[in-house]
Amino acid sequence: MEGSPIDIVIFAPLAPILAVLLFWFIQLLFIESEKYLLEKIRPKHKPLCRFTNFLGLLFQTICHALGFTVTRSGISDFYISINYGKVAPKKKKKGLFEWIANGFLFVGPFFIPAFLLLLCLFFLMSGGFEIVTPSQLLDVKYTFAGQIISFGTSQYAFSEGFFGFLFNIDLLHPSHLGFLILLIFFGMGMRPSYIGEERKEKVNMFYDLKNIWSLIRYKPSYLLILFLMAYVFFYISLFLNHSWYVALFSILGWISIISIIALVITDMILILIKTTDELPGFWRFIPFITIPTSYILIRILFYYFPSDYTYILSLLIMILFTISITYLLLKYKTNKFKTSIGIKWFKKKRKGGKDEG
Amino acid sequence: MKDDELLKNEKVEKILSPHPLSFMRFQSLGLFLIIWGLIIGWLVNFSEYKDMFTNEWITIMVWGIVLLVAGIIASLVTIRWSIFFLYFAIFLGGVGLIIWQGWHSTIGTFLPFYTVFISIIGFLLVEGYRRSHKYIISNQRIIFKGGILAKHERTLRYDKISDINATQPIIGQIFGFGTIIPISQAGFGLGADKSMAAGGVMLGEKKAKILGIFGGGKEVQTPMARTYYELHGVYPYKEVKKLVEEMVQGNVITPFQEEQVAFQKEQVDIQKQMRDLLKMQSDSKESNVKDNNEEES
Repeated sequence: MEGSPIDIVIFAPLAPILAVLLFWFIQLLFIESEKYLLEKIRPKHKPLCRFTNFLGLLFQTICHALGFTVTRSGISDFYISINYGKVAPKKKKKGLFEWIANGFLFVGPFFIPAFLLLLCLFFLMSGGFEIVTPSQLLDVKYTFAGQIISFGTSQYAFSEGFFGFLFNIDLLHPSHLGFLILLIFFGMGMRPSYIGEERKEKVNMFYDLKNIWSLIRYKPSYLLILFLMAYVFFYISLFLNHSWYVALFSILGWISIISIIALVITDMILILIKTTDELPGFWRFIPFITIPTSYILIRILFYYFPSDYTYILSLLIMILFTISITYLLLKYKTNKFKTSIGIKWFKKKRKGGKDEG
Repeated sequence: MKDDELLKNEKVEKILSPHPLSFMRFQSLGLFLIIWGLIIGWLVNFSEYKDMFTNEWITIMVWGIVLLVAGIIASLVTIRWSIFFLYFAIFLGGVGLIIWQGWHSTIGTFLPFYTVFISIIGFLLVEGYRRSHKYIISNQRIIFKGGILAKHERTLRYDKISDINATQPIIGQIFGFGTIIPISQAGFGLGADKSMAAGGVMLGEKKAKILGIFGGGKEVQTPMARTYYELHGVYPYKEVKKLVEEMVQGNVITPFQEEQVAFQKEQVDIQKQMRDLLKMQSDSKESNVKDNNEEES
């Protein structure tokens, strides 16, 4: 085994932790973009915002309740509404147990919905769940570089499988369609922050980070214990020559990837909603009707003229159709692109105004 | 509401109907049928398991079992056995049509279309039922109207309302509707949740048999009314609730007002007594004057 002892003993266990933190940060950025879009469409889509708010609170309260269950505090009060969620423990435990329960509350919503999606993917995806260490890296497997490359390789394998599944998703297959609906559903609720009916304080990424930071600062010794546990787990994996340590963090990485994709898809839907809001009357529903109609028509076409790329082509054509129709509607039904009144007319008007002046 | 239906000095404040999503418990039955119809169509015609459904009776059995199991679950959850019987009737209708028309060979097409068609009829019925509801809130009373064939109507004066029960389910919180049950002093608007437990023992095997049954029941009073006797799924919920509460408050006499009325009554009684006394005095004076005059003459 190559690699300096300091690297193996001190730095190597940190590699997957830092990588997961990086993923987590990217996830936070997408959450922020989702919140921004939701706030933009809020005046016209209050029910949708209330729904996403409810989903967010639902996951948050479930995670909090899970925290109390894990710490054996029990649950005496459980209440969720669209703008308020409350979970109270039966026995109020202090110290480590309280810290763990709070940890579940702040960190749980990031991971638990996506973990449920990962469970679904086990049944839907054909591969991508392997923890692979490239053969040329076997000698430096337990160094910082080795750990990070192992982590990266398993993330790459999972991403390849996951994107392969997403691009070849068959929307006429009940389980595939169900998964997509769940992905969007969870994507809307994957927010640890509470967004009230009226914005009273700035609840954003920094607010979330501040919460987590105060949790860490409240009892730094507990965080140290967590780190120690991670290190001990790494050493056990090292001595038994297994990839358990990387496997654990790889799963957290997969969860983050699923979360990010769920958030990206949700963001795309929110952007479509925001764009169609500019259309007048019934026209705003046309892009949404185009999505299933175009997909079904293309699938019928491919049923009679089979192709090896039926699913991906159907998906691509559906997306292109939707974008084109939205663009055309914006062009002809609104003055979004300033085409209904020519720029020349504006220039003339301005010139005329100056001449008069 | 026609003008001749209004009472003297009556003014209509709001005319309401239930929100389109307020009958979701009925609509969800139709929604399940649509989903199951599409899934059975996919299973039999396009899925990788389609070879399992080459025998039409297997298809009917799978379709029927899922339908009936869903009916049982929905009935147990909502404590309404009518749901199970409804699904059972749909199942019997489907099987009856297949046998009667001899559509065994086209079962893969018939069953999905039949299931979706029935669900569409269900949706239309629910929508018709929803539209038959009309709630009129005036400054004197609330009028509840409903029913497709038989017309139900209830009029409730605000001074007869003893309590207001308001419920807003999650879907109502999202879309801003809710149900308000005004409970009258006579208890109209209250129902009972009943739970029963019973057991039986039979002794003896051949000749002498003794049968004993023992049981127990529990009844809990709860606000409950038919949808046409309550403000079911009204939108905007908060506004309507406030309006009804204000109307009730405006028509119900408060303890302070009661005291005032009692005090005024007392004052009136005292004034009456004083008037009687004065009258008596004046009468006696008059009689005295008369007597004196008579004596003088």
